[in-house]
Amino acid sequence: MTAPVRVRITYCADCGYEPQALELAGALMRAFGQRLSAIELIPWEEGTFDVRVGDTLVHSMARDGGFPDTGMVEEAVKMAVFG
Amino acid sequence: MGAITAERFQQGLTYDEFVSSMTRNQDRFIANEERVRLTKADVDAFKRRPLRVAILAADWCGDVVANLPVLGMIAKESGALDLRIFERDANPDLMDQYLNQGQFRSIPVFAFFDDAWNEVGVFIERPDSVTGRRAQRRKEIFAKHPEFGSPDTPVDQLPEDVRARLQQELQKMRDEMADWANAEVVRELRAIVEGRTTRGGARQPDRPTQPAA
Repeated sequence: MTAPVRVRITYCADCGYEPQALELAGALMRAFGQRLSAIELIPWEEGTFDVRVGDTLVHSMARDGGFPDTGMVEEAVKMAVFG
Repeated sequence: MGAITAERFQQGLTYDEFVSSMTRNQDRFIANEERVRLTKADVDAFKRRPLRVAILAADWCGDVVANLPVLGMIAKESGALDLRIFERDANPDLMDQYLNQGQFRSIPVFAFFDDAWNEVGVFIERPDSVTGRRAQRRKEIFAKHPEFGSPDTPVDQLPEDVRARLQQELQKMRDEMADWANAEVVRELRAIVEGRTTRGGARQPDRPTQPAA
C-alpha cells in the first residue's frame, strides 16, 4: 500500500512558463499514474517556478535557479510514494 | 548585436506587424499604448537622433506588454526610430547576445544602432527603479492585509481565495504604478538616445559596447 501524493507546480504565466509546467506534469503523469492523488498547476507571476511534492518544496526558481531537472522531481515523488 | 546586419534587421517585424500578429494580450498592449504620455521635450530629444532599434519580444511577456508600447509611441510621435521586432524563441542567436546578467533570456530587449550599425545602447526588461518600487509596494500590500500572511509564504501554500485576492491586489498595484513606470522607461530610453548612458532596464555587469557588424 502506498500513500497518495499531491504535486503542485506553481509557474509564472506572465513569463510564458506553461510549456515547462506541462512538460513536467506530463512526465509525472506517465511515470506515476494513479499513484499521484493530484497534480495541481497554479498560474502565478513574479518569475515563479516552484514544485512541491506533498509538503516538501523540492524546487524553487528563486531559491535554486532555473527549471527543475525532471529526474530529480521524479526521484522526490518516488521517495514520497514508496518511502 | 554582432549578428545584426542591415539585411537581418529588415527581416524583423515592423511594430504594426507585431501588434497585428499578437495572439495574446493584444487588448492590454493597446490599452498601454493609450496610456503613454510624452512631453514635447521627450519627443524633441528622440527626433534629434534617428536610430534603428532591434527588439526581442514575445506577446506572452508582461514586461513586453508594459514596455514595448512606450517605445512604439516614442517611434510614432518622433518619427525618428526604425523598429524591427524579432520573436525571442525563434531568434536564439540574437537573444543569447543580450542575456540579462549574462544568464537569463529576459525580454524585452531594445538594442539601439546608429547608421553605421554601431550599438549605442541597450535596454533590457524593465527599469530597476520599477522593480524596486514594486517590491516596496508588495511589502505594503502584505502589511495592509495580514490575512495574506508573510510575504515569504509560498504562493501555493495560500488558500485559493486568498491567492485570488492577492493576485487582484498585485494587479491593482501594477495599474496604479503604470503611468509612473512608463515615465521611467521614457527617461531611461531618452538617456540612451542622448548618449548619457549605454544601459537601460535591469542593471547589468559591465560589458563593452559592440562595434558594427
